[in-house]
Amino acid sequence: MTETLEEAAEETRRLADFVDALVPMRERLLANLVMLAQIPAPSGGEAPRARFMLDRFLEAGLADVSADDMGNAVGRLHGSRSGRTILVSSHLDSIVPVASDHNVTVRSDCIVGPGVGDNALGAAIVSMVPAVLDELGIELASDLILLGTMRSLDRGDHEGIRFFLDHVPQKIDYGICVEGMQLGRVNFFSVGTARGDVTCDVRPEPSRSYGTESALVVLNHIINRILGIATPSRPYTNICMGQMRAGVSHDTEPDHARLGLEIVSHSDEMIDQIYGQIEDIVSEMSARHAVDAHFDLFFRTRAGGIRFAHPLVKSVLGVMEELGIPPDQGHSPSELSELIARGIPAVTLGISRGEKNRKKSQDYVLIDPILTGVAQLVGVILAIDEGACDEV
Amino acid sequence: MKSDQWLAERTFHHSNFWDIKWLVEEKKKQGLSISLCLPTLNEESTIGKTIIILKSELHDRYPLLDEIAVIDSGSTDKTCSIAKSFGADVYDASEHLTEEGVRSGKGENLWKALYLLKGDIIVYVDTDIKNIHPRFVYGLVGPLIQAPEVHYVKAFYDRPIAFSGSLRPTGGGRVTEILIRPLFSLFFPELTAILQPLSGEYAGRRSILEKIAFPVGYGVETAMLIDIYEQLGLYAFAQTDLDRRVHRNQETIALGRMAFGVLRTFMSRLKREQLVELKNALPSIMRQYQVDDGVYRQVEYEIEEFERQPMIDVEAYRRKFDLQTQTT
Repeated sequence: MTETLEEAAEETRRLADFVDALVPMRERLLANLVMLAQIPAPSGGEAPRARFMLDRFLEAGLADVSADDMGNAVGRLHGSRSGRTILVSSHLDSIVPVASDHNVTVRSDCIVGPGVGDNALGAAIVSMVPAVLDELGIELASDLILLGTMRSLDRGDHEGIRFFLDHVPQKIDYGICVEGMQLGRVNFFSVGTARGDVTCDVRPEPSRSYGTESALVVLNHIINRILGIATPSRPYTNICMGQMRAGVSHDTEPDHARLGLEIVSHSDEMIDQIYGQIEDIVSEMSARHAVDAHFDLFFRTRAGGIRFAHPLVKSVLGVMEELGIPPDQGHSPSELSELIARGIPAVTLGISRGEKNRKKSQDYVLIDPILTGVAQLVGVILAIDEGACDEV
Repeated sequence: MKSDQWLAERTFHHSNFWDIKWLVEEKKKQGLSISLCLPTLNEESTIGKTIIILKSELHDRYPLLDEIAVIDSGSTDKTCSIAKSFGADVYDASEHLTEEGVRSGKGENLWKALYLLKGDIIVYVDTDIKNIHPRFVYGLVGPLIQAPEVHYVKAFYDRPIAFSGSLRPTGGGRVTEILIRPLFSLFFPELTAILQPLSGEYAGRRSILEKIAFPVGYGVETAMLIDIYEQLGLYAFAQTDLDRRVHRNQETIALGRMAFGVLRTFMSRLKREQLVELKNALPSIMRQYQVDDGVYRQVEYEIEEFERQPMIDVEAYRRKFDLQTQTT
């Protein structure tokens, strides 16, 4: 027992020491973040960011570096013994439009710029993992696969990571998805998600026997009906109507309108049920108002996760406790679901704190927590490497 | 024609020097040290990014730079604290070489950098660049490491100016095209081959920089070109295309004051070289006009263009760099 306590104390000291040992790397980590964030990367246009990540892997001396057929950036750090294979991944794409000013500002306490937290920071840290391990003098027994994925967001539908997981030749034993924010998140449960667009197009005048001339008004009727759908609190279920586009000027009724919505639930059956209800509403409104209305579902993930009692979750919580990181065990809409769906024990971790997608303020990430976030990632990799996450 | 040949042989693109590892090895072989000088005055919005990118890539990752220093003109914002927090050496220009008196201006900072920094090569990079990238340094250092006969390297670029989110190209810069190139065409035709003589990024060997005078204000870039040209000729120069440089726009009226300062510096060189004869000393007052509620008003600006003597003539410098036995 005494030995165990001493080992635990030693582990605590080691993780805390990581934060101090990483201080000389701070500017390199921040520079990586700035340079990555300034590369536009809409879904499908992430290739320059993948190139950047591959260059970092090459500079770190990884023997096995390449882009796969989907364009995902892949680097392999071979372990000292043939053992487990750990996947550490981050998505490379961003919701920031290419035409936006991607300039990043460095303040004394934070990095400010579009998409810095989601997910330039995650990608910057994954690209630096080999250099971080080298700086800390860590040699892993396990193989480490570092991955920057393409086409994760929006209509990308996790295409990059799906491709990678379906084609990677070796068995992945554990996965860690790295997101820029928020430090403390420990997601081991993936909420089921269905994401789609409701589109409404007014028919040309000659074919219109009756009905409205405004696609916006019809879409409004559809929205009102969707708002009437009952969502249970158990299993947790929610319908989020997050985007609407219609019209070109104040004095012209739009002939096209689009609603972007997402259904999330802990139950795949609930998602199927609500999806069916929305399809019925759209079909009914299409007929009633003589418009062409459709519901296009383009993104779907299944609910699932690993147990709270899984040693991986326990190890992550232990690392967080040692580093003084308050854990936030929420569910995750991230690429975690793809790993879970394939039976790979995995978690999503955050690196720093900050804000994103606010209407009246710019995206930012705080600088101070970043080294703690990186130490946390290293701590979890080590826990897996040392076998602490294996189920007996 | 000599300048045509120079243009072909001494004009580079930063990509010619992409192999930073080779530059570092060659620098070591030649026993060179390189210092980066960042002159600042209230640049808190850009200084942090400038330092972390250049320090990360050209000091921590590839040790091309031996020191990174901010020489500040009395910023009242967080420029100095941000620079310190990211690991740059920070100097308040007014606190050094006080026996030489206190002057203000970018040229003063560049001049004092020769005293404060240690490098055999000094790289000067303005800190208002929004798209800062390591090429702004290695593109300038490259020709100096590659060719010992090159003593001074000037940047040129496509210069879009940021206007509320969009970019507008400007060619060589307004003061360059309207003032400098016509003057060079008249008096120093070979120097017209330097595409952007007023660019704020350049690198030079200490051995020549310490031997030239530094105007403390707007004229410092023009003076450097003319004075180095007079001492070493056109082939001491090289220039590097650094691609795009995004920076803040300056109003035309501010450029007018800049042009006045540059012109005074230019005239002093013409007089020194006996290319023109001036019967009287040139005035230092620049007059501009404002209209306010239909009333026109004259505004006078004192633009002195004081010049610092060559650093090698400063006793403290000679002591610091152990040059007591040299003659100037």
